[in-house]
Amino acid sequence: MPPEIAATARPSPILPRSLGLALALFLANPGARDALAAPPTAQQQIESRLMCYCGCSDLTVRVCTCGTADAIRGEIATRLSGGETPDQVVAAFVAQYGEQIRSAPTKTGFDLVAWITPFAVLILAGSALAMTVRRWGTARPAPTTAPASPNAAAATPEERRALERVRREMREQG
Amino acid sequence: MAEFGTLCLYLALAASGWAVISSYNGWRAGLGELVLSAERAVYATWALVFLAVISLEYCLFTDQFGLEYVASYSNRALPGIYKFTALWGGQAGSLLFWELILVSYASLIVLTNRRRNRALLPLVVTTLSFVSTFFLALVNFMARPFVRLDFIREDGIGLNPQLQNPFMAIHPPCLYLGYVGLTLPFAFAIAALATGRLDDIWFRTTRRWTILSWFFLGTGILLGGWWAYVELGWGGYWAWDPVENASLIPWLACTAFLHSVMIEERKKMLRVWNLSLVIMSFLLAILGTFITRSGVISSVHSFTKSDIGPVFAGFLGFCTLVSVGLLLYRVPDLKSEHRLDSFVSRESTFLFNNLLLVGAAFAVLWGTLFPILSEAVRGVKITVGPPFFNEIIVPIALALVTLAGICPVIAWRRASPRKLLEKIQVPFWALLGGVAALLVAGVRDVYAIVSFGLAVFVISTTLMEFVWGARSRQRVTGQRFGRALLSLVDRNKRRYGGFVVHLGFILIVIGVTGSSVFRQEATASLKRGESLAVGRYRMVLEDMEARDSPNAEFMGARLAIFAGERRVGTLVPGQNFYKAGQNPSTEVAIHYTLRDDLYTIMTGFDPQQGRATVKAYLNPLINWIWIGGGVLILGAWFAMLPDIRDRRRDAEARLLEVESRAA
Repeated sequence: MPPEIAATARPSPILPRSLGLALALFLANPGARDALAAPPTAQQQIESRLMCYCGCSDLTVRVCTCGTADAIRGEIATRLSGGETPDQVVAAFVAQYGEQIRSAPTKTGFDLVAWITPFAVLILAGSALAMTVRRWGTARPAPTTAPASPNAAAATPEERRALERVRREMREQG
Repeated sequence: MAEFGTLCLYLALAASGWAVISSYNGWRAGLGELVLSAERAVYATWALVFLAVISLEYCLFTDQFGLEYVASYSNRALPGIYKFTALWGGQAGSLLFWELILVSYASLIVLTNRRRNRALLPLVVTTLSFVSTFFLALVNFMARPFVRLDFIREDGIGLNPQLQNPFMAIHPPCLYLGYVGLTLPFAFAIAALATGRLDDIWFRTTRRWTILSWFFLGTGILLGGWWAYVELGWGGYWAWDPVENASLIPWLACTAFLHSVMIEERKKMLRVWNLSLVIMSFLLAILGTFITRSGVISSVHSFTKSDIGPVFAGFLGFCTLVSVGLLLYRVPDLKSEHRLDSFVSRESTFLFNNLLLVGAAFAVLWGTLFPILSEAVRGVKITVGPPFFNEIIVPIALALVTLAGICPVIAWRRASPRKLLEKIQVPFWALLGGVAALLVAGVRDVYAIVSFGLAVFVISTTLMEFVWGARSRQRVTGQRFGRALLSLVDRNKRRYGGFVVHLGFILIVIGVTGSSVFRQEATASLKRGESLAVGRYRMVLEDMEARDSPNAEFMGARLAIFAGERRVGTLVPGQNFYKAGQNPSTEVAIHYTLRDDLYTIMTGFDPQQGRATVKAYLNPLINWIWIGGGVLILGAWFAMLPDIRDRRRDAEARLLEVESRAA
């Protein structure tokens, strides 16, 4: 790195100070309500857990704008004001309309497979990749001569010589 | 005209079939005349399909409601532009349009490869014509656009009102150009595998086509999101619908290929992997089409259920079998010529980038297909909707953002940890400064803090790359900084175009984070003079508004918009009642700013009482998604332009071919 860039790379003392201040603010009141994002209410959380069954869109009740979604939202509000918990409200809808009304699989039984598989595949593939890359990094480099099979050799010796000549000329041309 | 169209399609099927047979046999027997005949058959197929499309458009524009397709997707009052776009409004027409794009691409390939890639071209033509023959068989026998009704209707049913939107005039063509474009690298990959010419000519030839397909698919996805935002009325742009997912999955695989192909170019590594990605991208595009058209998974985007599902499944199975078989057969010939030098190198970050991109593609595919698996295992159909995808994809996306920041500053081959730390010093402090600013501003959402912090980091590393590169060039050439920067970018279009794409991606991440974490909403039933507040805006209902057009009647609520005490505009959200008899369609009204959008819809109204029910969303930073998309498109376009290195490589390839022919 050139010296002038290294010089600009030196951190400004303001940064650690502002960071320290921010961390102090955060630590002083870590549970503070986000100033910009209001947390979802119980009603909104339930709306997100249910799909609208109107048939005009594949949207959750939280965002669907049709009359059916309005009716579901009304029923959720009635049930909540009647003292039901969010889980009881969702269970009541599932009992009435079937599993398809849930917007996502549950995290129990066979449905758990849906949640685990993507991460399991990523972790397994990532581990295998990390091991391979590490092994490659420590192993001797593979030979750079012609590939093992004649099929892979698209370039004949004449072609290779021609290529070498072109590359040499191009290097000379800059 | 309908009979003429039908005749053209039969003849096109024959020509395309002939192209398959003659190019394959010409290649096997080494008969140049047969190969030439196949190439001419490709042009003939294009001309015949084009005439068929013209015939269908003629029928649409002349209101020939004796045709089932015209009666189903058009009506007399439909504006001309939507009569034109009705071509892809239904199953049969859209398959015909797909075929037109495919044969246009095939003709371009034949035209641009008249004097090069002659060893690969016969099998490229065979593959492209085989896919073309399949689609022509569909439009000739299964989803026919020129079927006549037993009676003549007075008027047509008309195009779905939601498709009567300017975005719908360009979103499907873009998606199709992307989907179909993936056939080109696939055809070159199949030809390379079948002929055994596995040097880097196949991917150099197809790299630009691959970027083009990726570009169109990405643009199509973006326009689809924009259309959903301005048309559907729920204030969002992406609902993880199976059909949306079907376009995202091949795009992710294609993105992985565009990164990993750089390693093949530099190190002659990952050859099996790159061929697999090209094959995978094509098969996933066909799978996406299968999902859209078979009715196997329910979706609002799905075309009318038809019996083409099993045929598509068969075609997909055949293509998988042939391509995977060929790949396995050639694996011994595809050994890497080099290996990675170090765990800490740009190559290894590319590998992990590929892992995340393919992992994301798998996760989306898995979630999309899981309802089928659940039904098969438990006998219960379930829904895998937005909460699932958000929870799975957000961590993967954040990891990808991190890599986008680290990758450019890590050296090829072997990075020295000291240099790496030096290079990320400024971006790291920028990240900490950004996080501090967010905390001071009162942001406590962890995802928002991580996402915005990483965005600052990536923007810093990317901009620093431009600065470092220009300064190096300044030292070598003695040019002024601005000139050095321009010349640097001009000489390395792919590299710096790629960085611009990264910047576009980060702007999209900022827009997605802002609009999902900080979104606010409010609903109220308003009488004249009453107001509703959301975020920094206040809306006052001034009056109800009614308008009449030849196609629809509109009823809306005129809202005066105030930011604080200042009036900043007027919005008229409403509903359109189409005369062709469909349900009313929501007409959204949006007040756009770079800081946030005020998004309003009218969900109900009572004209007698002058009362309207208005729903309003405040979507912070959402326009950065579209701006980021524009930056991404510009970057991709720039990366596609040829630069000095490409010209040298092309010269090399041409010379190699001439030399080998002479030898």
